[in-house]
Amino acid sequence: MRSLTHYCGTFRAAGVAAAAALLLAACAPGGNSEDGPVPSKPASTGIGSEPVTLKLLVTSGVDVPFYTALGELFRAKYSNVTVKVESQDYATLTTTIARTLAGNNVPDLVRVPQLGNLTKDHLLISLDPYAQAYGWNEWPQSQFASTRVGPDGRERGTGSLYAAGAGFGLTGVYYNKALTRRIGMTRPPATVAEFEQLLSNAKDAGLQPIMINGKDGGSVYPLQNLVMSYAGDVQAVQDWNYTKPGASIDTAATVKAATTLQRWGQAGYLPADVNDIDQTRAPAEFVKGNGVFFPSGNWQAPGLDKTGSDQFGFFLFPPGVAGGPSYAMTAAANLGIPARSPNADVAAAFLDFVQTDQQARQETVTLGGLVPAGPADAPAPTAPEGSAVAATVSAFQELLKSNGLVGFMADATASIHVNSLIPQTQLLLAGKTTPEAFAAKVQSDYERDLGR
Amino acid sequence: MIAASRPRGDAVPSVRRRSWSALLWVAPAFGMYGVFVLFPMLQSVQYSFYDWDGIGPATPAGLDNWKAIFTQPELLRSVVNAFVLVVFYTVLPVGLGLVAASFIRELKPGAFSTTARVVLFVPQVLPLVAAGIAWTWMYSSNGLVNQVLRAVGLDQYTRAWLGDFTFALPAVGVIGVWVMLGFCTVLLLAGIGKIDPALYEAARLDGAGRVSEFFAVTLPGLRRELVVCTTFTTIAALASFDVVQIATQGGPGYQTMVPGVQIYRLTFLQQHVGQASALAVFLAVVVLLVIWPIQRLGREK
Repeated sequence: MRSLTHYCGTFRAAGVAAAAALLLAACAPGGNSEDGPVPSKPASTGIGSEPVTLKLLVTSGVDVPFYTALGELFRAKYSNVTVKVESQDYATLTTTIARTLAGNNVPDLVRVPQLGNLTKDHLLISLDPYAQAYGWNEWPQSQFASTRVGPDGRERGTGSLYAAGAGFGLTGVYYNKALTRRIGMTRPPATVAEFEQLLSNAKDAGLQPIMINGKDGGSVYPLQNLVMSYAGDVQAVQDWNYTKPGASIDTAATVKAATTLQRWGQAGYLPADVNDIDQTRAPAEFVKGNGVFFPSGNWQAPGLDKTGSDQFGFFLFPPGVAGGPSYAMTAAANLGIPARSPNADVAAAFLDFVQTDQQARQETVTLGGLVPAGPADAPAPTAPEGSAVAATVSAFQELLKSNGLVGFMADATASIHVNSLIPQTQLLLAGKTTPEAFAAKVQSDYERDLGR
Repeated sequence: MIAASRPRGDAVPSVRRRSWSALLWVAPAFGMYGVFVLFPMLQSVQYSFYDWDGIGPATPAGLDNWKAIFTQPELLRSVVNAFVLVVFYTVLPVGLGLVAASFIRELKPGAFSTTARVVLFVPQVLPLVAAGIAWTWMYSSNGLVNQVLRAVGLDQYTRAWLGDFTFALPAVGVIGVWVMLGFCTVLLLAGIGKIDPALYEAARLDGAGRVSEFFAVTLPGLRRELVVCTTFTTIAALASFDVVQIATQGGPGYQTMVPGVQIYRLTFLQQHVGQASALAVFLAVVVLLVIWPIQRLGREK
């Protein structure tokens, strides 16, 4: 059996460097370009009566008890299905998911941190048949936009659906109720300028105006919020996130937002050691009272409520002009069905269940700290009055109706967050780059990532 | 078999026979080496000429991946940072290690000498990830380093060391000094132990002081150990990954980015296996170019 690869191996072992060039053309690495998608079985909403073990691969941490609870609820309804939850930490899952799904021991549902090349390499199945069968197409569609992928395998927001989730993340600004009373805040700020005045009041009162984690990207949130508030419109950012051809973030709104954030840094509104604070330390400092405001996401709400209810409030980032639209960044805790999963129908049933079952939706808030979306007429889950969780849930409902939910710029490409947004924001806050250079650099890195 | 049937005394075939049987003995090891070391290495070289995400089909990329190393400022910058780390991982530990070893040699064997060795060597036992986490705490705004500075009244020098644009890279470097110093000291101590005591005695009789004794006896006697120390620590510096990934993730800005972290991100996060391979091969060549003269120095008489 002297195959082509056999010859390649022999030559390489001999270390004939000169011959390498010839060989390279002969045996290119990777799969066959003619590999089409796995032929899909007809989608069915039935889950049969045979015993099935549904394997979930999620991120470690709060996701494990959350999905375990959802699994038990699902089993209560379909007694032949056992849900088995496995986990990997987020960073590990991000780096190993492609290999896991290309292997032989695939989960039936996987938490998808980023779609990346997963659809192009045919590792996930399209959920379109299930969306049709379960009637997801009748629900508010903005909740599915970020996991649609176009036929080129890259542009998002359009095309086939590849993932759906139980709940959504949502960003905004937490505030310490006791401290905001001291600086005379009676209601959430109506404009960015009003917010900036509050920051100034806090500084004058000897308080730390904002607590934020600049080390691992927390300062990118207010930046994106400022961009959207100044633009008063999110189409440009949304197009950019979805890598629509010709999209650019190098805009006047971005420059203005970067200018404002830099000014906040220089005025001492951000912690002096902002670039050394990570996502574990920032909420801990905020809970201790170090920081009047804490721009972050709803995943922090259950943790903040644990320190005592009615201590922390949450408002959406203020608009640029009074009465203007509010926007928030959102991302679903997306689950996808691997192409090699033998239990796609059951997995799809589980996905439908977590989005529609009232008890499951309640667990999503209580255990997952996320807000469920689902059908427009689904009742919102409840949360204790005055809690940070309750504030995030109502903010989400409001935005779902006003189409104010936008994806994270951090998710536009696989590396834009760690390689561009984080370091460039750090340079910006340290005064080592200008707002104009910041906007241009993020855009040029983005184009390089996309090979434009 | 043909060789075996020839009459004895035929020198040439007997040599050939011996070399053939030697090959047979070497074959298993060479096979493993070929499959697990040479093959992947050459595969990396091959990948570096492709645009490949690690799963799907690859497309030939010509020299694009290689050009990027020299045209993308972040990639080249990371290589420069790695050379700055050589100062901390190699120059300081080997220098301080020599001094420490010379002093410990003069100590009488006993509790103090043993303690000194253990204290210096402990960092070498810890996993680098643990070291990175521990030092991150020490360097934080309210960490040990700043507490000490405040205690002695140097408040104006306190800062978040790993978040500071000027001091982040040296701060990472100091972690390297801490880790590498023990290794160098222990190795050099062992080397000193092998030096003939008569040489020291002769030097003393000739009226040599401590310093000239060090340069005339200790230093030349440690040539081989010094080469091992320098080689090992230089590779550790140029190929560093763990400490940076844990302590700073390359930040603030691009201040502490090193090729190891870039390669990791390119491969696993960006799925640019081709670009990652090009940078990895480039790094390997750079390491070889740096190590080669050091090795030559060690062999000279």
